Amino acid sequence: MLRATAVSRSYGETVVFENLSIDVEPGEVVAVIGPSGIGKTTLLRTLALSLEPDEGTVSFDGTDAWEVDDPDRLALRRRIGMVFQAASLFDAPVARNVEYGLRVRRSWPERIRAELRSLVAPSGTADAVRDALDIVGLDDKRAQHVESLSAGEAQRVSFARAVAYDPDVLLLDEPTSDLDPRNTAVIEDAIAEARDRRIGVVVATHDMYQAERVADRVAVLLDGGVTEVGPTERVFDDPRDPRTRRFIDGELVY
Amino acid sequence: MPIDPAVQSLQLLVDLPFREGYVRSIVSVSLYVSLIAVALSTLFSIPVAVVLGFNDFPGKGLVKAVINTGMGFPSVVVGLVVLFAVSNQGPLGSLNLLFTKQAMILSQFVLATPPITAISLAAITGVDEDVRDAARALGGTRLDAALVVLKEARYGIATAVLAGFGRAISEVGSVLIVGGNITGADGISKTRTLTTAIQLEARQGQYGTAMVLGGVLLALVLLINAIVVRFGDWGVQR
Repeated sequence: MLRATAVSRSYGETVVFENLSIDVEPGEVVAVIGPSGIGKTTLLRTLALSLEPDEGTVSFDGTDAWEVDDPDRLALRRRIGMVFQAASLFDAPVARNVEYGLRVRRSWPERIRAELRSLVAPSGTADAVRDALDIVGLDDKRAQHVESLSAGEAQRVSFARAVAYDPDVLLLDEPTSDLDPRNTAVIEDAIAEARDRRIGVVVATHDMYQAERVADRVAVLLDGGVTEVGPTERVFDDPRDPRTRRFIDGELVY
Repeated sequence: MPIDPAVQSLQLLVDLPFREGYVRSIVSVSLYVSLIAVALSTLFSIPVAVVLGFNDFPGKGLVKAVINTGMGFPSVVVGLVVLFAVSNQGPLGSLNLLFTKQAMILSQFVLATPPITAISLAAITGVDEDVRDAARALGGTRLDAALVVLKEARYGIATAVLAGFGRAISEVGSVLIVGGNITGADGISKTRTLTTAIQLEARQGQYGTAMVLGGVLLALVLLINAIVVRFGDWGVQR
């Protein structure tokens, strides 16, 4: 479905990755693992179509996203949901945050009408918003302002915000690295729920245990490229690339 | 025993020795000129701040330096420049703007624009870049992302508008030069503002009258502040 083929990206003289290929299919969870600072975020931004690769292609259902014009690329981008390491919520109530993706997909006259209506008579929360908050167990907090949330709850709202508009692909950039075990478990359950809904999930993480728990496939990102992609169990039990083996052994000992 | 000016001004408030409509006409000229100048300034400044905040281009540092310098423009110099511009021989001479409210609006626009732009720009660049990225990642266009940033920066922008309004309404030098502090034969203000009236009254030794007008000016500024702060809270349903 979403596929990066032989992509390269540099910042100035620094090569982040070269000749990297990765893909995700509906209903599948792919974990990108690798040490911090190796370029997982840059890879996810490339997959999110917000960063153009220097070389290579990113295609969505066979359409090369950087060959089409801006409105078409926007349409492709709108099939992708993204959760960042920091929750990055808007200064507004929870429900307002979660419905943001739905709001920007409406036409301007519709949006203005809806805003005016809500000034006169606050309307109920959209079903899609309640459903998305339900996935992360926060439906009861929908009227609260985000300021009153804990860091874990904020990240869960950020997750709900990315699934509320029913994307085909969900990109998660270290979604639980700042969270306690309980909130981490909620996010991991939500990832499983997304997979059940046939969403293709790519999760970047430096936590190999998390990759083992949630992923169907693992891509190991080391030294400016993917050293190995394969089914989770196979990669962890029997890594074929010696660099992958060293990385996994080192981490597992630690 | 000389009468204390404070006591004197209290007596004046009770007696109101002004010709009927005089104070009202000064207040309305002050508000008219300052509000229109600040409104125009805001319409100009915020798009400029958004463009500066969202884009990097060669010479951006220079543009910001010019704006920051503009915050320190001496108002009498601005008045002088606008006076030359609107005088008969000036480039805008054919519009006959000298000693009109329009000329005062022009000079206040020049004075209010740098602080409004600079403070708005600081507020916009102060918004976490993650929030802008999130708006884009959730399917927003560049315009959507800009609107999100403006909304996040609304308190800073409200402060910017207040700073601009404060500079405009409390300003004496340039409105005196380009407006002329004129009243009609009926004593009703044409281009006399609260500040120029206070300056005139004080110079004539009418300290009590000057203090009453000063109190009115202060009350106006406080009122506008309260309205703008309230306005900044709109759109946040807590």
